[in-house]
Amino acid sequence: MTVRHLLPKSAPFTTDDIELLNGLVDRSSPTQRTWLAGFFAGLEAGQVQAQGAPAQPAAAQRPKVPLLILYASESGNAEGLALKARKAADKQGFQSRVVDMAEADLAALPKAKNILVIASTWGEGDPPQRAADFYGALMGDAAPRIDGVRFAVLALGDTAYVNFCLTGRKLDERLEALGGMRAAARADLDLDFAKQAAEWTDRTLKVLAPVEDDVTANIVHVDFKSYPEIDNEPRYTAENPIEAEITALVDLNGSGSTRETWHVEFAPDATDFEYTVGDAIGVLAENDPVLVEDLLVAVGLGGDSALAAKLVTSYDVTTLSRPLVDAYAKLTGRYDVSMLAVAESFAAFSADRQLIDLFLAYPEKLEAEQLLALLRPLPPRLYSVASSHKAHNGEAHLLVGAVRWAAHGRARKGVASTFLADRRKRGDKVRIYVKPNRHFRLPVDGDRPIVMIGAGTGVAPYRGFIAERGELGSKGKSWLFFGERNYTNDFLYQLEWQDHVASGALSRIDVAFSRDQPEKIYVQNRLWERRAELQDWIGQGAHLYVCGDEKGMARDVNETLVRILAEPHLGDLDAGRARLKELTKDGRYQRDVY
Amino acid sequence: MTDKRAKNEIIKENSRALRGTISAGLGDVVTGAIAEDDQQLVKFHGTYMQDDRDVRGERAKKKLEKAFSFMIRLRIPGGVVTPSQWLQMDKIATEYANGTLRLTTRATFQLHGVIKSNMRRTMQAINAACLDTLAACGDVNRNVMSAANPYLSKAHGEAYELARKLSEHLLPQTGAYHEIWLDGEKVEDKSGPAQADVEPIYGTHYLPRKFKTVVAVPPANDTDIFAHDLGFIAIVEKGKVVGWNVTVGGGMGMTHGDTETFPRTADVLGFVTPELAIAAAEHVVTVQRDWGNREVRKRARLKYTVEDRGLDAYRAEVERRLGQKFGAPRPFAFASTGDPIGWHQGPDKKWHLTLYIENGRIKDVPGRTMRTAFREIAGIHAGEFVLTSNQNVIITNVAAKAKAKIEGILAAHGVDLTTSSGLRRNAMSCVALPTCGLALAESERYLPDLITSIEDILDEAGLRDDDIVMRMTGCPNGCARPYLAEIGLVGRGPGLYNLYLGAAFDGSRLSKLYAQDVDHAKILALLEPILLRYAKERHAGERFGDFTIRAGYVKATPAGNQFHADVALAG
Repeated sequence: MTVRHLLPKSAPFTTDDIELLNGLVDRSSPTQRTWLAGFFAGLEAGQVQAQGAPAQPAAAQRPKVPLLILYASESGNAEGLALKARKAADKQGFQSRVVDMAEADLAALPKAKNILVIASTWGEGDPPQRAADFYGALMGDAAPRIDGVRFAVLALGDTAYVNFCLTGRKLDERLEALGGMRAAARADLDLDFAKQAAEWTDRTLKVLAPVEDDVTANIVHVDFKSYPEIDNEPRYTAENPIEAEITALVDLNGSGSTRETWHVEFAPDATDFEYTVGDAIGVLAENDPVLVEDLLVAVGLGGDSALAAKLVTSYDVTTLSRPLVDAYAKLTGRYDVSMLAVAESFAAFSADRQLIDLFLAYPEKLEAEQLLALLRPLPPRLYSVASSHKAHNGEAHLLVGAVRWAAHGRARKGVASTFLADRRKRGDKVRIYVKPNRHFRLPVDGDRPIVMIGAGTGVAPYRGFIAERGELGSKGKSWLFFGERNYTNDFLYQLEWQDHVASGALSRIDVAFSRDQPEKIYVQNRLWERRAELQDWIGQGAHLYVCGDEKGMARDVNETLVRILAEPHLGDLDAGRARLKELTKDGRYQRDVY
Repeated sequence: MTDKRAKNEIIKENSRALRGTISAGLGDVVTGAIAEDDQQLVKFHGTYMQDDRDVRGERAKKKLEKAFSFMIRLRIPGGVVTPSQWLQMDKIATEYANGTLRLTTRATFQLHGVIKSNMRRTMQAINAACLDTLAACGDVNRNVMSAANPYLSKAHGEAYELARKLSEHLLPQTGAYHEIWLDGEKVEDKSGPAQADVEPIYGTHYLPRKFKTVVAVPPANDTDIFAHDLGFIAIVEKGKVVGWNVTVGGGMGMTHGDTETFPRTADVLGFVTPELAIAAAEHVVTVQRDWGNREVRKRARLKYTVEDRGLDAYRAEVERRLGQKFGAPRPFAFASTGDPIGWHQGPDKKWHLTLYIENGRIKDVPGRTMRTAFREIAGIHAGEFVLTSNQNVIITNVAAKAKAKIEGILAAHGVDLTTSSGLRRNAMSCVALPTCGLALAESERYLPDLITSIEDILDEAGLRDDDIVMRMTGCPNGCARPYLAEIGLVGRGPGLYNLYLGAAFDGSRLSKLYAQDVDHAKILALLEPILLRYAKERHAGERFGDFTIRAGYVKATPAGNQFHADVALAG
């Protein structure tokens, strides 16, 4: 993969130097870049005396209000907010640093004067995976005291999950317990966080330090706007999506399959629609009108077509969350519903139930406004992009597993997946946008070997990877591990892999089809079988990628990789874990799991 | 000089005794297929690569290659399997194949839908059941059939023994089978010289074409002796086999529109005593090996060698190699080709139950869980199972007191001991669509419905219980031996068949084309008046095939080379 040209050609350097800087900046982390920014600022101020002297970020030595922006991000939302917060903070005269918890040092906390924490919660109340170690250490007995340090926590979450914003809540408690001073009340934000997050950040920064006007004197301001990959918002966002035409819509599974996986091609009619392989594409789906009508009938609003249209396009009409039950209880004054909002009974009732079940089981007539007030906005759905912008003429392809199940006597459908599979056809337009995934990137060096591990729709980004590397003529070897249920009907993109193997763009492929034989075979079994060669590849600098379902695959793959890496250390799993951590730190073990 | 040999000859020559690149192909996971030449070679190992033709249309659109899978055919001389073997095959069908067992017109099991990644495991599971698939297909002597049920008489036992010995004697000696399928991991060495497997009978090029051998015990011609390259007819005196009439030159396959190709009934070569039978068989094989046509593959069967060289010349050459002359053929008489359905008692008072298996397909369907029934019977049965040349099953050696138990199991699973009509009882079909790559039309999936329709006519004619032999194939290669059926239907294209009439009930005379490219309605329209008239005008004991000749619907076909002669198509 070529180096992205981040510095504008107009930068005050020679062409060669721009090239050199591009290479460096492209592979640097946000922390490194922040450090450099501070370093150069310090250099200008004459504070670094001798060459070779241990360089310290100048930020710590600036007479500004220091601010540590610490984020824990899974899908990139917290990271994006952290970068926005830095921008806002720098404008207000802070000397801020943005640090990913994945790369943060616990010992730095006590030295920080002000800490802004932006943390998302993942799955059933877990911290984002990459932040898990830091989080664990912070929660542990060995965590340092941070007496006097001011902090504020912005928590991101999804009310669809019971442990809404749990990570942020726990961090908030813990920082206080360690002696920190809460500068602002925590905000717990749902999927529609953008506006509230910006307001909270503004408010909190004001509390932490008043605006100063002339603090920028000695700071070299780098215009990050020219760094689209780093912290610039993509051209098209959830708030500003693009209408893209569906040009192909095919269920890739052979008839007779137990799976239903749709290949969707979008052809946005815009030259500024850009993405990088590894990114996600957000789809602003619409609800099933039939379900919406059922819902309206249940609350006595059936036939209100204007309201129905609103619900179809803009409101989450499926998620049954505890806050919603709580709100419904208050609204209706029903004691039985209020009892339902109690943790245990909510867990029992909400299992495999949706909003419609609540309305059907505890029916009350509602006014339209009352109903709308209960509902949260319809969140977009993210899919790993299955194409390469370069190789696929600027189109964005997605691999969408249709979600269908039956529960409590009702057929249920995934909102976004069946929106595409059932309710849209070729030629229709759908609102989509780009969600950068900075932690799932091809190696900059195209000669690097890559090992791609994915099951089911987890194979999507690799289709983009291989197409991209083929288009760029990258020389690095590539190895795909793919898993699904049945060879004959579920070998997603089989003909394309055959072409890539024939052309050499894909060097190796191993497959695991779990249901073709009496015993289950999964990708991790294949990894283990091939461990000697895998170790060779890793020794040659291979980057490892894992994409797919966390519980169903990624966790087992992770454990298998630990075992494989432990093998040269006589099976010492701790050594294997340490090695995997090293790879993670070097950006050579990247995961896109859900 | 240009090499005029057929392509398969070159493939065999370069195969290093049937190895080819099969092993490497099994390891290529990005495709469910194997290399084109290997597709020819795996036949010798008892398997065909196929694809599900029902879904061909959708595959490319779904970015999937054709739905490849393998048909695996077993070698079971005489069709005898133990209950334990039955259970193991049943398990293999569940674990690796499509959940059904297919009994074939060569009295063996076929598995369908085995994907490449399961091929070695399936072969190993078959081997673990003390069964194999070697030479079940390919240009070699294939599964040897014998008159059903070795326990029916002493002569039947001897026929079975001969079938087994013939199969063993004519088996390829290459180590390729063991190496590729059973050792599994052993990778062939391509760098060294070709493997020095010696094939004493077959040589480096095996036979020019497939070769089929059967053994019959008159008056039953259940093995359809005249349809095969080589046959042995038991000559029984005082309950003992005193020798065999040897037949050569039968075969079914032909090509639509090519009158150079035709089905042919075998000729009787002469009589041999029991101790000479194996040697005679070997030399019939080696003469065909040396004389057979290796340039035109569709004229490569033994029947064309006999046709082209003459029976006398063929006999003389076999006798020369044998160092002995054949005796004059002994008289024999066949009565029928079908299986007598139901209970029969053997000389030792043990009972044998012949069950009609529609199309030979053993499967569970709602209300008729035949596969489960057999599994349960195999679990309690002390005797054996015999697969017949008519795709039926005989449960052998049942003690009188165990009969009720077996009947109880069958009844519990909805399996009838009788059939709905004499026509159905005598009907056979090949597999055809969706798996057979040669099929031009449906066969197995269509014949039962066609019979149901004809049964209405039979009722009208009062012929429901009459034995009439009807066979259908999806292509002219004739796996279900349609040209020896009184009513033969051979696929021409989707929904269209050629209708043949006039074969002998006892399997001794070929049929004649009566109507071309007829669909379901036309088949019924053509058969109805003939069946009605047959019911009214037949002489006592006159068979339907004979009647269609006497009544002038078709001319008789006295020999294979007259098959295309005197054809007068019905309007």
